[in-house]
Amino acid sequence: MKMRKLQLLLVVVVLLTLSAGLVRAQDDPEPIKAEPGADLDMVLLPKTLGNAVFDEAHEGAMEADEELENEGDLIFNAPTPDNAIPGQIEIIEASITQEVDAIMISANDYEQLLPSTQKAMDDDITVVTWDSPVAPEGEDLFIAQVDFTEVGSVMANMALDILGEEGGQFAILSATPDASNQNAWIEAMKALLEEDDTYANLELVDVVYGNDDPDDSYNEALGLVDSYPDLELIMAPTTVGIAAAAKAMQDEELCGEIAVSGLGLPSEMQEFVENGCSQEFALWSFKDLGYLTYYVSYLLATDAMDAEEGVTFEAGRMGTYTIEADPNREGGLRVLMGPFSLYNADNLEEWAAGGDEGATVEATEEAN
Amino acid sequence: MQRSKLWARLKSWEALLFIILCVVIFVNLRLSSHYLDLNNLANIFHLSIEKSLMVLIMAFVIINGEIDLSVASIMALGATVLAERYEAGWSIAAGLALALLVGLGCGLLNGLFVAYMGIPSLIVTLAGQIGYRGAARIILEDRSVGDFPKWFTSLGQDGFIGPFPITSFLFLALFILGLVVLQYSVFGRYVYAIGNNRAAAEYAGINAKQVKVTLFMLSGLIAALAGACYAARLGNVRANAAEGFELDVITIVLLGGVSIFGGTGTMLGVGLSLLVVLNLRNGMSLSNVDGNTQTSVVGSLLILSVLIPNWMQRLQRLLSHLFAKNPKLFNRGGAAEPKSPVSVHQ
Repeated sequence: MKMRKLQLLLVVVVLLTLSAGLVRAQDDPEPIKAEPGADLDMVLLPKTLGNAVFDEAHEGAMEADEELENEGDLIFNAPTPDNAIPGQIEIIEASITQEVDAIMISANDYEQLLPSTQKAMDDDITVVTWDSPVAPEGEDLFIAQVDFTEVGSVMANMALDILGEEGGQFAILSATPDASNQNAWIEAMKALLEEDDTYANLELVDVVYGNDDPDDSYNEALGLVDSYPDLELIMAPTTVGIAAAAKAMQDEELCGEIAVSGLGLPSEMQEFVENGCSQEFALWSFKDLGYLTYYVSYLLATDAMDAEEGVTFEAGRMGTYTIEADPNREGGLRVLMGPFSLYNADNLEEWAAGGDEGATVEATEEAN
Repeated sequence: MQRSKLWARLKSWEALLFIILCVVIFVNLRLSSHYLDLNNLANIFHLSIEKSLMVLIMAFVIINGEIDLSVASIMALGATVLAERYEAGWSIAAGLALALLVGLGCGLLNGLFVAYMGIPSLIVTLAGQIGYRGAARIILEDRSVGDFPKWFTSLGQDGFIGPFPITSFLFLALFILGLVVLQYSVFGRYVYAIGNNRAAAEYAGINAKQVKVTLFMLSGLIAALAGACYAARLGNVRANAAEGFELDVITIVLLGGVSIFGGTGTMLGVGLSLLVVLNLRNGMSLSNVDGNTQTSVVGSLLILSVLIPNWMQRLQRLLSHLFAKNPKLFNRGGAAEPKSPVSVHQ
């Protein structure tokens, strides 16, 4: 009898342990991993041809393609800039005809591609957007490069880094006055400066607009120098603006006095970092974006993963990600890539030498 | 005599286009196993339906000795008016009617300046290209307008017979109409006569001004109609729609054997040229040829279409020159006299 009770107890304990294990497994599931060696034809379709950042994304996708030993083709194609939207539609339609398995799009329009991408989805083709999404009903999910609010904090941190604890005056040189990306980032930065005492000594004196035109941006930068004698930093959240501002400071031999920072392309900023006109700037890595996009598309196209909120997966060297609801698009799903890459004299040399992964420093800890 | 020579000339240009078309189709068949998919065949026309429509009327305009650079802007304006009015609560039909009227109005304006004020159409329609596009931008600014009713978008997207949308049949009907009007009607003969020699045509009692205004109005009307097709196909309209379409349209017309100086060309040639360009583009898309290369291939084709006849003419002259100097050279194989001059495009 006693034996019986003991046995029963044992069984109960074992069952409890098992079920506890099961419950834990449900709470914290193993991230889904990709099974290499599938045979998938995949199309990487950026906005336009002839843009350096999209070539970098292509590199990243090729890296993932090799890693996953995909036996199918990775097709890289894009329209010419003068034919952007109709050209993307033509490529999507041709991809449907070719019966490819996945299309990865950086969309030129939020809505006009919908009839085509929906047709692709009806034909069981995985549609993943990256860099620039379409409306949620026309895609499986969106790979977002960074969160808009994060851009604000990265810029504030770079300003703090450059100006130091004692702070100083700085100005923003943006793109066009109605550029929605830039405006959102600047607002996020302003909000942070107001809320957080860490940034109390950073004084934003002006926001000017160079219209993403090198000449305009150059002149606006010089205008800032004239208007604010105590100015110590120009922060440009646009790759055109930051390069033009650095050039202006270089030409006026102001590089020791006024720093230039913001969002820049390593290839364009290298010379200015070397001659000290720009200490530090940031950008997300388009190569990583291409790599992650390929991984997600591969997982979805092989049916290893469903595009559902809360699904966790592993994307090769980039680690684990979770599919989440997109706060900017109702009903949309996203995978948030992050983090930013910070570039300075230390790692830029490495970047220029190799240009491959590992050279760009994952800098979230530094930035936060 | 003159007439039959002209006829032979045009006929053989079309023969050349036909051969090119066969080559393109043959290569496409070799390169892609999906080329003959019914869906793909529908796509060939479907994805370029707006350009195809505008090609038809552009052929008339150029044969008439004019050009219309404003078609793409009128198309965008038509689409914009339709979308904006629909957004404002009008029915699609009412919006479409207004869009077509606006297209007619733009064409009328072009026509009046060209025909009655004697300003070259290149300048008038270049101004129109800028002005009408500007109007479209004023109406929609940077917004995009969509959410059209399902029946409207399905006209532009879904198959009507098989996978072919109804717009494809609209094109076919207009092509046949254009062919009949241009080649077999009095109006068509007026178009040629004015394009050949306006002064002579006017002496013969043709009202050239009226014909020109009519053509520009029709051009505006078809462009606005193309705009409606665009709205239905994409389900959404922006003011920057169709930017640069006019050059593709003109390219196809010239490749079809229509002289840029007016007076020559046939609807059959233009139709063949359209088939050549669309199939060529489709084949390149299916082979994942990038956009830059596609553009340069079509561009080269246009240049060759001017050069080849030129070369043939020179070769012909050279041969007949040699022949005149040394007849025995060519008589060995029992060859008869050289045939009538090899056909020439321009």
